[in-house]
Amino acid sequence: MTATGKGFSTLLAPNRRTFLKASGAALTTTLAMPYITRAQENVLYINTWGGPWEEAAKAHLFDPFTAETGIQIRTVSPVSFAKLAQQVQTGTYEFDITTLGGGELIRADQAGIIEDIAEAPYEGGLFHNGVASHAFATVIAYRTDKFPNGGPQNWAEFWDVERFPGSRCLQRYPARVLPLALLADGVAVEDLYPLDIDRAFASLDKIKDHILVWWTAGAQSTQILRDGEVDLIGIWHGRYFEALDAGAPVGMTWNQGQIDRAYWVVAKDTPNAENAKKFIEFATSAKPLAGFVTQADYGPLNPAANEFISAEDAKRMPTSPENYPLTFEQDIENFGADIEEVAQRFEEWIAS
Amino acid sequence: MGATISRLSEKPNLWPWLLLAPLAIYLAIFFLVPLIDVAIMSFTEPRLSIANYQKVLTGALYQKVFLNTFMTAALVTLACLCVGYPLAYLMNASKPRTAMLILLLVTMSFWTSFLVRTYAWMVLLGNNGPIVAFLRAVGFETPPQLLFTRFSSTLAMVHILAPYMIMNIYSVMRKIDPVLIRSAESLGARGFSLFRHVYLPLTAPGIANGCVLVFVICLGFYVTPVLLGSPREQMIAGLIGHQIEEFLAFGMGSAMAMVLLAITLAILAIYHRRFGLDKLWG
Repeated sequence: MTATGKGFSTLLAPNRRTFLKASGAALTTTLAMPYITRAQENVLYINTWGGPWEEAAKAHLFDPFTAETGIQIRTVSPVSFAKLAQQVQTGTYEFDITTLGGGELIRADQAGIIEDIAEAPYEGGLFHNGVASHAFATVIAYRTDKFPNGGPQNWAEFWDVERFPGSRCLQRYPARVLPLALLADGVAVEDLYPLDIDRAFASLDKIKDHILVWWTAGAQSTQILRDGEVDLIGIWHGRYFEALDAGAPVGMTWNQGQIDRAYWVVAKDTPNAENAKKFIEFATSAKPLAGFVTQADYGPLNPAANEFISAEDAKRMPTSPENYPLTFEQDIENFGADIEEVAQRFEEWIAS
Repeated sequence: MGATISRLSEKPNLWPWLLLAPLAIYLAIFFLVPLIDVAIMSFTEPRLSIANYQKVLTGALYQKVFLNTFMTAALVTLACLCVGYPLAYLMNASKPRTAMLILLLVTMSFWTSFLVRTYAWMVLLGNNGPIVAFLRAVGFETPPQLLFTRFSSTLAMVHILAPYMIMNIYSVMRKIDPVLIRSAESLGARGFSLFRHVYLPLTAPGIANGCVLVFVICLGFYVTPVLLGSPREQMIAGLIGHQIEEFLAFGMGSAMAMVLLAITLAILAIYHRRFGLDKLWG
């Protein structure tokens, strides 16, 4: 395979870059045609998670934005960090805007695959050229049929298999799980970062045999909790409420909930950068954001949005004035280790 | 047939090749070129070296996952054969109407999306599912854990892949001349010896086809084991996706894909020497 590959590229062009450029140019003329027309039509392409996420975004962000500016919005899903990187390299844009988590945002900014944003749309809203939009929290949830007197109230209790016997489930995502393991081991929230990786793995060792399954997709975590496949779970708060609303006997605590932020970013060098920034400004302004986070079960990161959220809805949000003090934020910039190496070690640890 | 015509017209007949051209061009642009790019990336990302391959071939995690991938594929293939062979035999022995009905049932699982089938198994095998409820009803105090084990993931993969095995074996069985069986019987072959010395060798090509097909498709699975299997089960395809989606490590992902491709091609090459690839499609 490899021999053919090399022969082919040297035959056509002296090096890979020119070969790729030549074939890329030939391809882009045909493939990018619809896109060029699109750009003239005043259309923005947004990368979304699809499903209920997109419904909420359409109702509160996309449609009102189109009504106000006349700029049409089309969507591409699911959200793909790899695609964002690839389209900047190839110059063929499938979407102009996407959302990223904190860790991805820093990597994207360092790799130069997102546009610079000069001004924060609201105070404190700008971080590494991403605009903070909404937040979700990884919280402790449990089956109330299994623990009628209440479940664990912090991660140390979640780890306590004597007091809370039963099967457990956590997300297969080391950047979120390692801080929880340290909290369980007695580290104070303010001393979490930079993470003591070895200590975190030692803490995980204690609970490993009780973890029946590691969840990888949001829908899967809801299903596992709702159908009682596990007794305890570290789950995103929106997914918890989904199980609760479906009538499952479940309980949760906001205490030591771990907050993740989502940021809007603009793909580097897209011809629609101006409109894209206009959209982001609109999407993070108080009223549209309030509507979106209420429907999609997030918390707003622009505090001005809280004005438009009812007290009842605020109870379901990790960023509400009542819940926020109980939670803690990730500090991705001070992670304390190479995230890729940690991920590798984590996968090895799971497989062993 | 091409050969007959060309002998008549005294020059090579280009028609069949011309008819194939659109497909060949399509595959070249949308399959071969990207594949070559992947091959190149495995050596050039992030810089020109063979470091990616060194990591893939020597890293403990990758060795473990490759091994698990092939073990899983082998297990699933064997299980598909055990389920598929008798079913194909039953179809072949039945009246045309019954055979059609079985064929319909077998292929019906193709109509449902792969993810839906996987979630269906989660419901069936879950703690509050019908199978555990049945086990409780017949007296199991604590029914065994079915979900999130190697059993559940293997069961689901066999369900998804068995049709490939059944169709392959069935198509070969149908072509067996009944006269051969009758002559074997008239020569005194009975029961197991008839099966062992006459029927089994005649169906061997179907078995080989089905096994290769199921094995090779299974190598690329990963959603089913992740959703249904035990945490320790990992398939290489999942690791490749992880490298690319999470870490933008296109070089590492490409190198793993190339190693998987090389091993798969090696298996097909061995098969080709033994049986001929053209037989794979019946």
